[in-house]
Amino acid sequence: MSDTEQTREEIAKFSRKLAELREEIGKMIVGHRDVVDGVLTCLLAGSHVLLEGVPGLGKTMLVRTLAQVLGLDFSRIQFTPDLMPADIIGTVVLDENAQGGHVFEFRRGPVFAHVVLADEINRATPKTQSALLEAMQEHRVTVGRNTYQLEEPYLVLATQNPLEMEGTYPLPEAQLDRFFFKLNVPFPGRDELARIVERTTGGHQVELKAVVNREEILEMQALVRRVPAAEHVVHYAISLLEATHPKHKAATDLVKRFVRTGSSPRGLQAMVLAAKIGALFGGRFAASADDVRGAAVSALRHRLLLSFEGEAEGITSDEIIADLLKKVEPGKGA
Amino acid sequence: MNSPSDRERGLRQLKRAARRAERRLRLSAALTRAFTALPLLLLASVAGLTFIKVVRPSAAVERGLTTAIIAGLAVAVVWVAWAALRRRPHLVGAERLDVYHRLHDRVSNALVFSELPAAERTPMMELAIQDGLEHGQKLDPRRAVPFHLPRELWLVAGLIVALAGIAQLEVRTVRKLPPPPALAAPLLTEDDLELFRERLEELARTSQDPEQSAAIGRYNALLEDIAARRVDREEVFRRLAELERELNRDLDADREAMDEGLKSLARELEKSSLTRKAAEALQEKRLEDAEKALKELAEKLSRQKNKPSRAELEKLRQALEKASKGNRERLAAIDRQRQELQAERESLLKKKKPDAGALDPKDQRALEQNQRKLEKLDRDRARAERSSKQMDELDKQLAEAARKLMQEMGEAAKHLEQSGESLNRMAQKDLTTEQKKELLRRLEELREVLRQQGKGGKEQLERLRRFSQRARGQSRPGQGQGQDGKGQQGQGKGQPGELRIGRGSGQGVEIDMGQSPGSSQGQSGQGDSQGASAGQGRGLGHDPNIQGDPTQLKGETHDVSAAGVDSGQGTASAEVIYGAASRGFKVDGYKDIFVRYETVAEQNIEKDEIPPGYRFYVRRYFQLIRPRE
Repeated sequence: MSDTEQTREEIAKFSRKLAELREEIGKMIVGHRDVVDGVLTCLLAGSHVLLEGVPGLGKTMLVRTLAQVLGLDFSRIQFTPDLMPADIIGTVVLDENAQGGHVFEFRRGPVFAHVVLADEINRATPKTQSALLEAMQEHRVTVGRNTYQLEEPYLVLATQNPLEMEGTYPLPEAQLDRFFFKLNVPFPGRDELARIVERTTGGHQVELKAVVNREEILEMQALVRRVPAAEHVVHYAISLLEATHPKHKAATDLVKRFVRTGSSPRGLQAMVLAAKIGALFGGRFAASADDVRGAAVSALRHRLLLSFEGEAEGITSDEIIADLLKKVEPGKGA
Repeated sequence: MNSPSDRERGLRQLKRAARRAERRLRLSAALTRAFTALPLLLLASVAGLTFIKVVRPSAAVERGLTTAIIAGLAVAVVWVAWAALRRRPHLVGAERLDVYHRLHDRVSNALVFSELPAAERTPMMELAIQDGLEHGQKLDPRRAVPFHLPRELWLVAGLIVALAGIAQLEVRTVRKLPPPPALAAPLLTEDDLELFRERLEELARTSQDPEQSAAIGRYNALLEDIAARRVDREEVFRRLAELERELNRDLDADREAMDEGLKSLARELEKSSLTRKAAEALQEKRLEDAEKALKELAEKLSRQKNKPSRAELEKLRQALEKASKGNRERLAAIDRQRQELQAERESLLKKKKPDAGALDPKDQRALEQNQRKLEKLDRDRARAERSSKQMDELDKQLAEAARKLMQEMGEAAKHLEQSGESLNRMAQKDLTTEQKKELLRRLEELREVLRQQGKGGKEQLERLRRFSQRARGQSRPGQGQGQDGKGQQGQGKGQPGELRIGRGSGQGVEIDMGQSPGSSQGQSGQGDSQGASAGQGRGLGHDPNIQGDPTQLKGETHDVSAAGVDSGQGTASAEVIYGAASRGFKVDGYKDIFVRYETVAEQNIEKDEIPPGYRFYVRRYFQLIRPRE
């Protein structure tokens, strides 16, 4: 079998697994196809996702479901103002050994899992929030003089409530930038609501099964990285990124007026990697400008810092990015 | 699509489609720009054309507007061409195909990856190429890059129609054209020209002298120039004056040379008793009498009886020989004198100091005197040459007669007779002089007519015509019989010696100028008109009442005539007469005027203001002009 045929087989397998995942998640989660795909994209990209939505939209349910169907370790951290970093990372305790002696032993915190749900992450203090930084970026935890590697795949899914500002601590820019995607969980439509009611108020019990294991996920992640992105696609993503910077000549009027700081290069990486995953999702073998466009909003929305005027005007970063996508056309920037 | 050839063909197809889409994109962009620029250009053209049609600006403004519009068009063309030809992204055509066919960059990626070296291509890229080929089999560049009807199309069409309409419209405007170049008014009427031509033809027929013929030719040329309006009034008068000057100069020179030659001949012939009679006639310029005397002598010599004595014949021979050589000897003497003066001049010039560059006053005076003498000798030589030329034949005959006189009387008589005939020919030449004078008179007539034509136009001519009628006691034109020298209105063409004014034969007014030969004091006519001038030429005889010898000036003077150039601005003779007449023919009675003037004259005679010798003439004059009752 040639490399091409083998790759084709891998892609076919990828598509099959992806379909199984979608189908299995769909058993529990009603609608939210884009959110589910976004979460899966982050999983395949080996990165993290910030879910934002009002309470009761199924964010936690989605994460739990995902952990179940992936067959991975799952931990949930409910962020509260009094949550301490050690509560997340773990702590060293004095323990008695078999010989009756006492030894210091590191008790691993909830961060040591494949899938971590950081529920209402903005309720914790920045100190506690920053405890996740190393884990999210380096996939390792350092306690004292010891560094503990987190097992791949490692996925942090954080949720936050956009309405309650009282007693919350907005995530710092550095931490936000570490999230691959920020996904807004929309309010379900009528049909979806009806199905939610049907599923949750009846006697219907859903038994979820793990459709992919850890190794398969790692294979899928490796396959994603092999998807090529042509130069014009990358240049398009770069053009989009440049246009988010108000000082740049390609910046749109909205950006110039309402954006304080544009996206970091992580935004570009997120767009291109998400485009590759999007190509595989679409059954294609190379990333396209359309894939970049599809990933742009989720990849850039939390990376644009609005100016005071933007905040005052009530402009959202989604509107600015939509405007960018209209103004920056594929091919122009190449 | 798996075989390499299929793959290559598929890729070529993709590329072709992408290029076509790109071309359409370029064309579309060019059209968009063209339809953006066209309304502006057309609007400017409509405005410019309207301005030109309505305002009728100067050629410079019109040229400026046209240039501005053309410059705008050029800029637009460059702008449109730039849209069509500027560098575009490599895959712009393929991307448009991907977008239209919703291929998610399958075509673009396939083309990009296919351009990579095979070694650099990953399996995923190969799959992407295959995917692109599979999905790109039915690409449609026409639909991917459609040409939309520009929104400005109707505006452009409307403006083109407007432009064409305005171009067809002619707005009537009053435009002041520069006056056409005026054709110079004729200086002479056709009738006058015809009259002058006829008279000139008569002169040409009788002309024997080549100089005169040349003058007639120039006169004729002048008339033709007047007829063709090639000359203006000033030029005509200038040429007339020039012609007159030349004729007068020839006349003077001829007359002087002949006078001198005849005098010299007379001096020599006077020495023989046989030719004394002829000498006297020659002295008094009676050439016919001189001819007659020579013929008589020839007859006398040819007769057998009463022949002259041998001494008389010897004297005659000597006289004839000297007479024949007179002109040549005089010419030789002049040449000798001239050579001497030339040598003297050269010696004076040699004295000139090289450093000072001037002579001393004495030598300078001598040089100036020498120069004057040389100039006089040049004039004398010219005169002698002319005389020698005029009398060449006569001299030859006389020399031959002298040579044969002592040998064969008959031959000598024959040569003397021929000498007489030569004198006759010289008299004929004097007739040529008269013809030159006649030509001068014609020139004067022409000048007079031109003056009248130039003053006051038709009205003035009409006034002059009426004046002439009145002066002749005529009431209506065209009734009189043509009578030469009578100052009457005539019919038919004018005769020599008449000045004709007006148009058309039979209706002209003719004024006798009294210039015909021999009628120097002619009092003409029955009306009031009189001969306008005295006879020309000097008198030949002397007043019988003169006491003593005729005045003989010792000084050798040379007549120089100085004539101004007649520009035709002066007053014609007829106008002078008319001006006087218009003030009134009869203001006071002639008798009263006569009495008044005679009284003044008598008073002056009484006061001795008039010399006694002239008192008789004054009284005689008043007696002659006394009023007749």
